[in-house]
Amino acid sequence: MDAILLASEMVFQPQVLLTIVMAALFGLFVGAVPGLTATMATALLVPITFFMEPVPAIGAIVTCSAMAIFAGDIPGTLLRIPGTPASAAYTDEAYAMTRKGQGELALGANLLFSALGGLFGTAILIVAAPSLAEVALRFSSFEYFWLACLGLTCATVVGTGSTVKGLVSLLIGLFVATIGLNNPAGVPRFTFGNVDLLGGIDFIPAMIGLFAVSEIFRYVLGMAPDLDGAQTKVGNLFTGWGRLMKQYWRQSIRGNVIGISIGALPGAGADIASWVSYAVSKRFSRTPEKFGTGHVEGIIESTSSNNAALGGAWVPALVFGIPGDSITAIVIGVLYLKGMNPGPTIFINNPQDIYAVFLIFILANIFMIPAGWAAIKSARVLMRVPRNVLMPTILMFCVVGSFAINNSVFGITVMLVFGLLGFVMEENGFPIAPTILGIVLGPMLEENFVTSMIKSGGSFAGFFERPISGTLGVITLAIWIVPLVLFVWRKARS
Amino acid sequence: MRINDAILGAVLLAFAIAIGLYARTLPAIPGQEYGAAVFPTWIAFAIGACSLVLIAGGLRHWTETGAVSLASWARSGHHLRALAITVALVVFYILVSTPLGFIPTAFITLTALFAVLGVRLVPALAVAAVLTMVVHYGFYSLLRVPLPWGVLTPWAW
Repeated sequence: MDAILLASEMVFQPQVLLTIVMAALFGLFVGAVPGLTATMATALLVPITFFMEPVPAIGAIVTCSAMAIFAGDIPGTLLRIPGTPASAAYTDEAYAMTRKGQGELALGANLLFSALGGLFGTAILIVAAPSLAEVALRFSSFEYFWLACLGLTCATVVGTGSTVKGLVSLLIGLFVATIGLNNPAGVPRFTFGNVDLLGGIDFIPAMIGLFAVSEIFRYVLGMAPDLDGAQTKVGNLFTGWGRLMKQYWRQSIRGNVIGISIGALPGAGADIASWVSYAVSKRFSRTPEKFGTGHVEGIIESTSSNNAALGGAWVPALVFGIPGDSITAIVIGVLYLKGMNPGPTIFINNPQDIYAVFLIFILANIFMIPAGWAAIKSARVLMRVPRNVLMPTILMFCVVGSFAINNSVFGITVMLVFGLLGFVMEENGFPIAPTILGIVLGPMLEENFVTSMIKSGGSFAGFFERPISGTLGVITLAIWIVPLVLFVWRKARS
Repeated sequence: MRINDAILGAVLLAFAIAIGLYARTLPAIPGQEYGAAVFPTWIAFAIGACSLVLIAGGLRHWTETGAVSLASWARSGHHLRALAITVALVVFYILVSTPLGFIPTAFITLTALFAVLGVRLVPALAVAAVLTMVVHYGFYSLLRVPLPWGVLTPWAW
């Protein structure tokens, strides 16, 4: 109890609260500007946190990331450009609602269920972190290998369109991940003597290229969606909140649970949680035919999920120092920098620090309602800005953002190459999200596979000998084989 | 511009073969069966397999779709020029921003892009100037991103 009081004293201070408010505004801005991601918002905040005390530093990052994930929904809904990749899963759906004149319902649902998802994620983080930690303590490279496989499988299964093209997209991502020195043998791969390539391809400029720059190219080529008929005024956001909560509470809870579970998996964060939840929502919906036409059901489940995933991603980050997603990967660096070394001992030695982080999570998600409301109201300005002014502005943000990750123009080159690649891929029906997933999970997959093979003396049986690993392996293989068997069976019958 | 899957598949097959051949040149870890070549080799095999599926599918629909179905922008010289200039401007930024500095490079890039997209010259110059300084203040002064000063180094703040 003393620790909770101490934590409250640490958090409820004018400077800390002011920092949280500023970080919230920054997160809302970055999230709402297409091309700038929640991960980038966090990465750009790190230099500023150098000058802060530990609690406001962590508070700034927690608040900023939560706000950015939510704010990504705003341009997604109004302009069909997801502000962050976590909003990409339901951008078309939300934009379809805007076209039908239901923009405020979509944005209101995004705001309400993002905040609820975030609070739910926090509650689970507080309650379940220690017990989940015990399970994860038993994880070895075998389990991590299967976890990575499961994450990659989700990407291809969840994606729309051709499975083969989804798989090709994923394989391109995995290939990109092999570039550089970061491999078990420590030899340069696919670098061709280029020093910049030795460090590999950073996924943030790649992501900016695939998701934002390709969109700018589409606009330049006159392929941008026609804004005629798009809603330019956002009415009362709170309309229908009671009805939505009553009608879709199941979807909200399911989204929260999926979000937390996926967020807690290493390598899989809010983006994947959002895609999986959207697919699950469609699969179990009583009206799946309404999906894609501007239906709020999938949006609610997905937006709940991506904010809940943030809380989930902090579980392995705080308890073991294993990043749940790219944001917590940055956070772990800041925790070390501030002397709050993540690990089970932090719960014993510095419980007040952990409680302070929990309190900030709660504050951030409550503050999301008024701040999000203000952001959505001011987002009307976005709609009024002529797109021939907005798009070059976004491109400049993308260029500077890609530069800022490593303070090198190489990041901009990566951004441009992936922008062109993303454009060509989308033109030909290849989904782009699996590429990013391949880049992120590739190194983890390779490292854990090679480590496991060395441990088991080159025997594949090692992957099934441990109970958790065996279970995960069987589940993964079943996901791969069962649809294939069903396909052959159906073909044979017909 | 939609290219027939058979052509894309053939390109991917060539890419897979190139990856596979390159992977064979990677050195093995002494005493280990699994080294740096394992993953690229697997990826090469998987891309190769997918490319064969794409080629087969593309050939089946060849008569309906042909080699390439051109989108409207691919026939529009204006749009293709705009794309080429946009890409060229990013390349210009990559090559020039360090020696010339962020402020002049961003100003030139933005003005040119505004002009290409049909913004009139005076507003384009004004918006580019304001935007350059806003981005510079936000990233350089507030976020401490070391944007290059280039020729403006003597006047750096």
